[in-house]
Amino acid sequence: MPSVAFARWQNDRTPRLNEVDSHCAVVLASVPPNPTFLHENLRGFVLHLSAYFQGFCRDLYTEWSQIWIAAIPLGFQATAQAQFSAQLALEKGNPTYENINRDFSRFGFVLNLHAASPAGAQLVTDLGHLNEWRNKAAHQGTKPLGGGVPATLTLPIVQGWKASCDAVATLLDGIMRGELRRIMGVAPW
Amino acid sequence: MTLQNLTEPLKAGTIVKILNSGYQRARIAEYRGPFGPKGARIYRVLVQRKPRHVYIEVREDQLEVLRAK
Repeated sequence: MPSVAFARWQNDRTPRLNEVDSHCAVVLASVPPNPTFLHENLRGFVLHLSAYFQGFCRDLYTEWSQIWIAAIPLGFQATAQAQFSAQLALEKGNPTYENINRDFSRFGFVLNLHAASPAGAQLVTDLGHLNEWRNKAAHQGTKPLGGGVPATLTLPIVQGWKASCDAVATLLDGIMRGELRRIMGVAPW
Repeated sequence: MTLQNLTEPLKAGTIVKILNSGYQRARIAEYRGPFGPKGARIYRVLVQRKPRHVYIEVREDQLEVLRAK
């Protein structure tokens, strides 16, 4: 059984992203081609993808922290909740591997996607590229992107990032469930 | 106002007290979802504290409504 956050990712956020994906495919296939409109749609797809993935990460963080908090005495709970809510990187920051790690490290273990999956390194790279493009799209950036980041957006590239976000979401859900089971002795969800 | 058996989540802007805490008065900023243990509703509430406001995520059963929205 997945977490509520992961179920929401699968049943609400992903179908919405699929709609954007389908729309981009229609624009890509339009005759005559309209590359400017396609590029604008792909930038929109990137913004949606980053935002929805950030939302999933925030939801999972909330779910995990509330299970943790429910296990401590009632009189400490609001104080612990204030601490878990304070200065969250994912509150305003992009869902980069660094920000996800910074917030989830509050639970007392190191989140290591590289070790969690043979594809971990590629997933982390894709997440980085997605967020580089997210910033470029959101802030109308004109500077060249960093080394290795695709210079041009294509639908297969963004679809690949979407698949990577889905893989990271699946990994995070499993890692967090495993850690809670290790700590509390029972499956949290 | 008791929060037992609420059918709908509390609305943003509702003034609440966080029970068993030093926070006397807070405002519902957002209903986050059923992310608590056994699907308990979680809210993001804004606590007015000097020198700055503080956001806290709490369960519905920790709240007492002081003024409904």
